[in-house]
Amino acid sequence: MKKLTNILGALALVVCFASVALAGEPQDRLKAGIDNVITILSDAGLKAANKRTERQNKLRAVADTFFDWRELSRRAAAENWAKFSPKQQEDFVTTFSELLQKTYIRKLEKYNNEKVNYLKEQIEGDQAFINTQVQMKDKSIPINYIMIKREKWLVYDVFVEGVSLVKNYRTQFAKILSKDSPEELLQRMKDKIKAIDNGQNVDDKVGG
Amino acid sequence: MHLMTRILAPAALVLLLCGSAFAANIETATPTTPAQAESMKTELAPSQTLLAYGDEDIWDENGQLIKRTHGAKTETPGDLAAQTPDPLEGWNRMWFGFNDKLYFWALKPVAQGYSTVIPERPRIWVRNFFHNLMYPVRFTSLMLQGKFDAAAVETSRFIGNTAFGLGGLADVTSDNKTFRPIPSTEQDLGLTFGYWGADNGMYLVWPFLGPSSARDTVGYVGDHFLTPTTYIHPWYWSVAAKGYDKVNAISFRIGDYEAVKEASLDPYEAVRDGYLRMRFKKMND
Repeated sequence: MKKLTNILGALALVVCFASVALAGEPQDRLKAGIDNVITILSDAGLKAANKRTERQNKLRAVADTFFDWRELSRRAAAENWAKFSPKQQEDFVTTFSELLQKTYIRKLEKYNNEKVNYLKEQIEGDQAFINTQVQMKDKSIPINYIMIKREKWLVYDVFVEGVSLVKNYRTQFAKILSKDSPEELLQRMKDKIKAIDNGQNVDDKVGG
Repeated sequence: MHLMTRILAPAALVLLLCGSAFAANIETATPTTPAQAESMKTELAPSQTLLAYGDEDIWDENGQLIKRTHGAKTETPGDLAAQTPDPLEGWNRMWFGFNDKLYFWALKPVAQGYSTVIPERPRIWVRNFFHNLMYPVRFTSLMLQGKFDAAAVETSRFIGNTAFGLGGLADVTSDNKTFRPIPSTEQDLGLTFGYWGADNGMYLVWPFLGPSSARDTVGYVGDHFLTPTTYIHPWYWSVAAKGYDKVNAISFRIGDYEAVKEASLDPYEAVRDGYLRMRFKKMND
């Protein structure tokens, strides 16, 4: 019995390494990006409270290298994208990506040496789907990425436990834009960012 | 408790029947006048314009290639689940606001205080205990879904944890891998109905319980009767046990809801979309 498990274990290891060896360009790009993020997060020198802004700026710079904010924003705005003026589109990309970075960097700050496993990579034309799993202390969370090929491969959507980031925002934007103008939506996002910057508490507001 | 369930269960059923009838009305209503037809069209618009817009999905949320039948479906099954009608939006938003306040004013402070007093290890024991106790819900659901292998594994876990894990305080079976992969054992009756093919019906938010759907509410009523803590006598101890389970569970997740709320522009919509998609994924896990 023990022998059998040993053999199985060895086989599993071989399979693991094989999949690592066979990883294509998109997964390598994603892994490089995530590894960079992890390096910054585990850098003890940046953990001090007074280094917070520096760390955030570094994280944002890394995120910019492997996220396609424009594609992400365009897909989140969906049919409303065409209704934006070119200037509004630019503004939307900048504001939305800033909001995402602000809120997600905060989540990342709780990082505690969780391990990321790369499970599967699929490439169809200029897009790639990558399944990963983040191993937490007591559970693992499936996080999947879709990438698109520009000059480099860039992420444009993230799925956490089956919830698409782009589609989750798409319903919100659609809802808001069914009543308000694009300008009002932009203002709302900017207000939100300002509130986060000021360290305002989310507790008191329901509407958002 | 008996009295309460006797009153609550029929009330929930009546509500549900009204709800599904209402939802069915919306679906089957045929436009009679051009004006009505026009308004129907605008209601359908988002998905159609998305189609015209050309955002096609190659994969669903799990990385499964989507087979595009008739060339018309660019929506993943998960998208369709997320489009569950929300005819009682105003009502739901009210309870969403209520639950929000309940969390920030009561549950969160209590859970925070609790977690500062009680270290993580004992809290994990408590979580394991309540999770182990919910075995009847998982077993029944898995059996009803015909997942006999998973039901058997869940049974052996229950026996192992109860007998050798001090009545479920320790999760001694979590390290044991199954020989063949089994489907997720985290199932309940709402997911079972979904597995059978039942639609969500409509989206609902209940006070204290949070986001749900017509289907999941029926499932919840069933789960309620399968939960051992329901049968604690007198009723207030039952409520206390369930409340303690909830507070203990929240002590591990402080910050999650805040993060969602902080990141979203319309938290109600974000939670609705997230709930429906997560449930859909769980159903197929």
